[in-house]
Amino acid sequence: MRALIIDDSAVMRKVIERALRQAGLELSEVLQASNGEEALQTLRDNQGSGALALILSDINMPVMDGLQFLEARKQENLAQGVPVVMITTEGNESFVLRAIAAGAQGYICKPFTAEQVKARVLPLMRVA
Amino acid sequence: MPNAQDEAVTRLDSAVAEVFETMLARSCDPLEGEVDTVEGRIVARIQFTGAVDGECLLYASQATASVTAEALLGTPSEPHDPMVDDAIGELCNMIAGGWKSKLASPDSNCVISTPAVTRDGLEGYQARFGTKFSRKYSFQGNVFGVVLAF
Repeated sequence: MRALIIDDSAVMRKVIERALRQAGLELSEVLQASNGEEALQTLRDNQGSGALALILSDINMPVMDGLQFLEARKQENLAQGVPVVMITTEGNESFVLRAIAAGAQGYICKPFTAEQVKARVLPLMRVA
Repeated sequence: MPNAQDEAVTRLDSAVAEVFETMLARSCDPLEGEVDTVEGRIVARIQFTGAVDGECLLYASQATASVTAEALLGTPSEPHDPMVDDAIGELCNMIAGGWKSKLASPDSNCVISTPAVTRDGLEGYQARFGTKFSRKYSFQGNVFGVVLAF
C-alpha cells in the first residue's frame, strides 16, 4: 500500500507515518511533499506507478496550501478516487466545508492520537 | 468575573496541556510564581491575522528543544539536527492553533501563519500589540516559555 503525506513539517510527516503504521496499515512506500505544489508534481510523476491508496494533507502550508492542492488535483484529474484526509490545526468550519467540497473525505485536527488517525482512515481503506 | 487576559491565559494553559498529553504523551504544567529566566535560544513564531491580530512565540533552550523533538518522534535527535527546530515550530503551530480554536466567534475568524523558527533568542523582542503576556511551562523538568501578544 502506498500513501502520500503532505505537510511542511518533516517532524509531522514522520509522526503521521508512524500513526498510520500503528493503525495497522501495511505501507510499502510513503511519498512525501512539503507543500501542495510538490504534492501535485509527485502525483504527476507517479501516474504510471502503483496506485496510491491514501493521501493525507495539512492545510496551512507555504507555496500552495492544502485547499489549493485539493482544487488543483481535481482540475488535473490526478489520483482520482484516492481518499484524502486533511490533518490540520485549522478546525474552522469554513475550512472544513471547503475541503469537503474540494474532495476531502476526512478531517483530523492536530493535536491527534494514533487512535483518531485509525478511526478516520481505516473506514476509507475498506471502501476504497 | 475573569478578565480577557485571565481567559487568554487559561486558554493557553489548556492548549499547551492538550498538545503535550496528546502528541507527546507527557503532562506539561505552567510554572507559577518566580521562575528563573528561560534560556530561549530557539524561537518559533506564529502570526494571527483577521479578527485577532497578534502573535504566539514559543522559546526554548537547545536541550529542551532536543527533548521535545525526541518525544514527538520517538527517536533520539542528533546535535544540530534540523528536526529539532522543526519540532519547536510544529509545537508552536499546534499550541497557537489550539489557543485559536478555543476562541469564541467572531474572534475565532482569524488565520494563523506557518511557523518561522530562528536561533536568535528573544533579545530585543518587542511586541507590536496592545496585550502581551508571557508564561513558562515545565514537562519532566524541561522548561520553555510562550509569549502571546494581540
